[in-house]
Amino acid sequence: MDKSPIISMKNISKTFGGFVQALREVSLDVYAGEVVVIIGPSGSGKSTLLRCINHLETADTGEIWVDGIHLTHKSTDINKIRAEVGMVFQQFNLFPHKTALENVMLAQQVVRKRDRSEAERVARMQLEKVGIPEKADVYPAKLSGGQQQRVAIARALAMDPKIMLFDEPTSALDPEMIKEVLDVMLDLAKEGMTMVVVTHEMGFARAAADRVVFMDEGRKIEETTPVALFENPEHDRLKLFLSKIL
Amino acid sequence: MVSSERSSNRLIKQIGRRFSRRGWLLAFFALDLLIIYSISNNEKLIDAWSFVIRGIGVTVQITIWAFLFALVIGLITALGRISKNVLIYNIATFYVEIFRGLPLLVIILIFAFVVTPAIVDWIAQSPLDDLAQTIFGANPETITTTVLRTRDIDSVWRIMLAFALTYGAFMSEVFRAGIESIGHGQMEAARSLGMTYVQAMRFIVLPQAVRNVLPALANNFVFLLKDTSLASVVAVPEISQLTRQYSSNNFRYPEGLLVLSFIYANLTIVLSTIANYLEISLQAEKREG
Repeated sequence: MDKSPIISMKNISKTFGGFVQALREVSLDVYAGEVVVIIGPSGSGKSTLLRCINHLETADTGEIWVDGIHLTHKSTDINKIRAEVGMVFQQFNLFPHKTALENVMLAQQVVRKRDRSEAERVARMQLEKVGIPEKADVYPAKLSGGQQQRVAIARALAMDPKIMLFDEPTSALDPEMIKEVLDVMLDLAKEGMTMVVVTHEMGFARAAADRVVFMDEGRKIEETTPVALFENPEHDRLKLFLSKIL
Repeated sequence: MVSSERSSNRLIKQIGRRFSRRGWLLAFFALDLLIIYSISNNEKLIDAWSFVIRGIGVTVQITIWAFLFALVIGLITALGRISKNVLIYNIATFYVEIFRGLPLLVIILIFAFVVTPAIVDWIAQSPLDDLAQTIFGANPETITTTVLRTRDIDSVWRIMLAFALTYGAFMSEVFRAGIESIGHGQMEAARSLGMTYVQAMRFIVLPQAVRNVLPALANNFVFLLKDTSLASVVAVPEISQLTRQYSSNNFRYPEGLLVLSFIYANLTIVLSTIANYLEISLQAEKREG
């Protein structure tokens, strides 16, 4: 590919508390419009890798470039990049003291400096897109897990991000709610959004991923297309992992 | 017929259960009525009442001003206590530990007899002297020829900082607990949307934290109200001081102290009942979202 990647991570290492090695020399490039799914056992560093992309975790060594901006450089204004990178969390992290609509509006007003009516217009449009316009004035506590997660996706999308990060978005959901969230994500992938997704949903990886990355013990073990990964896994560790979850 | 009897039984039981937990309050109101009756029918008590009640304004004034100052000091200190900046953290912690470690009575004496005179001396020698005299209400014609003296400063303001700083230290711990009760995910979500630390604090963390600690703040308000009685040791004319004056002038301790207790108990019980309902309604709100 002659295009330069929108996310470029080079030799990222990260240690927690001085001795727990979360990432060891991981490199990953993501191109605009791509959907990259990261899988692996828990504790393999996949969430840490994802959180490095918007600087919720700071890499100890290595370089990260997002949208042409050097993230690991000291003088970089991290808030500017974060506004371009949407993130969806396992625990939703909606703001409980604000309605669904206000949740989606707030950052637009505070960060993007949109006026109230414009923020509300965008918020209603995004809630429509994730399929719950009727819940606009409801507080998060009254929403189901699946609805909360869809509001969280709308909240991130309202900032018009160039990249969306998903950190196990369906892991805290009841089984019957997983599909409604995955459907929203599939639609997003079809629209050409650049997505990096940490998930255990192999069905989603098969359906939407351009590439799948398998991680274990802080290392990137395998990086390939979903078909190759599921039909013809190379490494023993990946075979073992797949045999346990499929 | 049977079912309506049963439901009315249930209603009586419900009311009974409610009141059985409010017996103390009913007893308090009964006692209250008795005391009001006594005060209005006994000349000595009327005398004590009319002498002591003149101090209620000062008591309320100290309570409210000190509480407002303490709110601001407490919030700023709490933010310092959770700061990652080592210098800010240590300054904030030093302040909290010192003021929590000293008895309030001692702090009041220090502020009345050491800190205020020292500040006054310093101002008297500085160019701010004329301005300060104007602020503290010295006679405008004499300002050019005199300097600020400790006695120019109203006794209420001499001890105000003692209360504000002491309760600021207590309340910083309340605020800190409130902030720490908000999960880290809230801060992360706000930051991931591009908000700065200050924006995330202001729009996301603090509104939730303050709601969580409202009952604790209300409790502190009640404690502060009671502690204003300590101001009497430096002759601030609040209700406790007036009671001591009245009682020792007339050898009427029972009358003075009865009136004094009546005033404090009514103020605090009304306030803590409000705080209680605040707590219950906040909890209900949380359940319903």
